[in-house]
Amino acid sequence: MNIASHLDKIDRFERLRERLDTMGDFELWFWAAMNTGTNAVNAALHHAGATIAEDVFPTQPGVYLVPGTDGKLEPAFRPPGDVLHVGRPKIEGKLPEDVTAMMQAMEVIEHHRDPCIRGERDATPEIAAECAQALEKVLALLRQRMSTPGKAWKP
Amino acid sequence: MEALDHRQRAERIERSIAKCGDADHEMKIEGAMLAGTHWVNFILHRMGVTRGDLDVMHSYMLTVNELRKYSVADAEMMAAIAEIEDIRPAHVRGNVPGGPAAAKRALELLATLRAKAHKLFV
Repeated sequence: MNIASHLDKIDRFERLRERLDTMGDFELWFWAAMNTGTNAVNAALHHAGATIAEDVFPTQPGVYLVPGTDGKLEPAFRPPGDVLHVGRPKIEGKLPEDVTAMMQAMEVIEHHRDPCIRGERDATPEIAAECAQALEKVLALLRQRMSTPGKAWKP
Repeated sequence: MEALDHRQRAERIERSIAKCGDADHEMKIEGAMLAGTHWVNFILHRMGVTRGDLDVMHSYMLTVNELRKYSVADAEMMAAIAEIEDIRPAHVRGNVPGGPAAAKRALELLATLRAKAHKLFV
């Protein structure tokens, strides 16, 4: 997806997260945080020229919904655009340090996804704080990156 | 996860979805997916088709055999959760116009799943 659309989603997800109760709404609070972070990583990867910023949408690693000539979306194999989650797919090659740091921070959040959202581990204020702190780091790094000129993706 | 836990989580996520506004179509869709999956697991566990140690996570990650088996239990239920999942790439990960309408549809499908669970077991 294009960078502006990633930034728009981040802005709206963050405004929603402010209205949610961290523990009372933990599942959606966490899911909004995770989606915010994933959009931030995708925007940073596009900005760094590591992935393509185009309006095609991943269904699974390597497969994207692509608009046909009639505008209808059809699945097709494509080179790396948006990742679904950090590591899905892994982006090959050397990445800028700040983008790697964003991805490492996202791993902190992703680590809690299945146990707390789909599993039987109860979320705690400590887990929520750890996720919030990791996301703050991701967004701070994104803001810093967005203040510098970006690169176009080159295969 | 046991059936009762699935029900409680589904109901909690639905309460959170109610806090979403007009601009939050992505999280309405994601909430429908999360809560809907809990209702699917609740129904499958209560029907005795699956046990608490075998939860469906995403319909698209099921094997063909699993999907067939769960569809024997309730084909409309499996079609509903699959349709919610299919909405996600274009409207959650993507920026295709029509997000609010897609969210409305996802919430209708979630209501179908909730009604099935209530009719059968609540």
